[in-house]
Amino acid sequence: MLRKEQNDLLTRTGPGTPMGQMFRLSWQPALLAEELPENECPPVRVKLLGERLLAWRDTQGRYALTDEFCAHRGVSLWFGRNELNGLRCPYHGWKYDHTGQCTEVPSEPSESGFCQKIKLKSYPLVERGGVLWTYMGPPEKQPPLPEWEFALVPASHSFMSKRLQESNWLQAMEGGIDSSHVSFLHSGELNSDPLFKGSKGNAYNMADMKPVFEVVESPGGLYIGARRNAENGNYYWRVTQYVMPAFTMIPPRADHPVHGHFWVPIDDENCWAWSFDYKVTRPLSEKERKAMEAGQGIHVSYVPSTYIPAANKTNDYLVDRKAQKEGRTYSGVFGIAMQDASLQESMGPIVDRTKENLVSTDNGIIMARHRLLRALKAMEKGDTPPGIVAEHQHVRSAAVVLPPDKHFKDAAKEALVVQTGKEHVTV
Amino acid sequence: MQSESARMSSAAEARYRIDAPNSKPRSVKVIALDHPSERVIKDLAQRKWNNASFFTASAFGGTPKQGESFAGWLSDLAGRTKNLIEEVNGADLVVMVAAAGESAQAASIIGEACSVKRVMTTALVLGGQSISDEALSKTLSHLRPWALMLVIASAEEYIADMLTALRA
Ligand code: FES
Ligand SMILES: [Fe+2]
Repeated sequence: MLRKEQNDLLTRTGPGTPMGQMFRLSWQPALLAEELPENECPPVRVKLLGERLLAWRDTQGRYALTDEFCAHRGVSLWFGRNELNGLRCPYHGWKYDHTGQCTEVPSEPSESGFCQKIKLKSYPLVERGGVLWTYMGPPEKQPPLPEWEFALVPASHSFMSKRLQESNWLQAMEGGIDSSHVSFLHSGELNSDPLFKGSKGNAYNMADMKPVFEVVESPGGLYIGARRNAENGNYYWRVTQYVMPAFTMIPPRADHPVHGHFWVPIDDENCWAWSFDYKVTRPLSEKERKAMEAGQGIHVSYVPSTYIPAANKTNDYLVDRKAQKEGRTYSGVFGIAMQDASLQESMGPIVDRTKENLVSTDNGIIMARHRLLRALKAMEKGDTPPGIVAEHQHVRSAAVVLPPDKHFKDAAKEALVVQTGKEHVTV
Repeated sequence: MQSESARMSSAAEARYRIDAPNSKPRSVKVIALDHPSERVIKDLAQRKWNNASFFTASAFGGTPKQGESFAGWLSDLAGRTKNLIEEVNGADLVVMVAAAGESAQAASIIGEACSVKRVMTTALVLGGQSISDEALSKTLSHLRPWALMLVIASAEEYIADMLTALRA
């Protein structure tokens, strides 16, 4: 359990909140590059960390992320006209450039220079790895661009999707490091989903339903090692990476693409679940990409022209009680992502952690909260929060078989960091 | 019409979650395996806990001989000898605390007792940062067979956070 004030501290991310400040000090995925496909395309509403913003792309291809509302009388600039080098409010014609600077107020004589006094708040918006990233913290603390491996491999090697999750970011993220649910909730998928099946590790998973866990602090967050018995007294280890505040990476299986997530607050009751898949040394096969686009693996299929999952709370996640009885899915919901999301949304927008009864196997979650609370304290004293420096981002998950006396953190040291030009270590 | 899931997962509906205890206090026994951890645990024992009690097995030397009793391997923080089997018997969870680099010898006998009594064990290793990988591996290899959950923590405060999280 957490005390109420701790729960509030970790779940509130609006402007002026400590957790919001931690998110604001690093680059966050704001939208997919495909959402702004060409110059002067229609603008897109973006809500992040409790701030209503507008993403758009000007005549010269410059990305903009500005206050959604016109400084004049508060009209949403989503209705704006994307004109030559600026966005014009359709109400009285005020025009803004990609930095949010007002460049025209038609009612005022242009010599008055009045428009120079008007500027919308704006944040940098930069494309990397098919994602448009933003930095919402103080300009003087802006770090170099993010160096997560999936964003640096060639476009043909990676696939990124996002889906709306109607819950606070923390309960979504905690699902990402909660390794003990996999053998239950996702048991139906391990051997049927084309993006998982056929891994030797799956056999260990299913043969040994009760993994033993080791939680170890890493420079940027945690390693969560799940240990199962393998042949000859060896251990099969699956090591998940968590980098604060909201990056999780699932251990690989066989030669399948490796995947992971960002859990980014939209506001305190909604978040974006970003899901990436990539290979280092080869492009994704046609079959893999098709499966991802079709919503398999950790991805979902959508309500047409939205990022809302097709199975969602308004249709009871298309729960199939017959499939549940027959054991085709453990919870009756299909697909890894929606199995997680349906349960996490069912907890309510912000789960009341004062009512929890955590057990030993929840130490990964307990440690993640402990590290976050500690990082918040250190941030207050002026320390840079974890997850911002490149070293914290150059991480990998791994699946390895090790002799029983070996500590994975040191025996699999190389497997846990980016090895340029080499694939993940996997079983 | 709105689905039931949509209606029931709103913030407004969350307010109707029953406000009654959903668990009974759990008994957690925290055992220091060596002198450095004993010091940490002594501090911890000063705080207010629901149902956590604190012990030390730091006096424990080598492996017990066949047929030797469990008595005497455990003492409370005032130095009074405690019966290991009795203590384990009444526990829902046994937490063993070891300092990285120490031998963690006592883990086997405590673990054995827990395994006989079917009691969950967790091992916490403190200070893994400042010690060689080899020394840490040695501590871990003594703990691993007996801990169903193992945590390597850099901050002593983690034990308190964990105990609080577990409602100890
Ligand atoms: S069994 Fe874990 S939430 Fe119910
Ligand atoms: Fe999951």
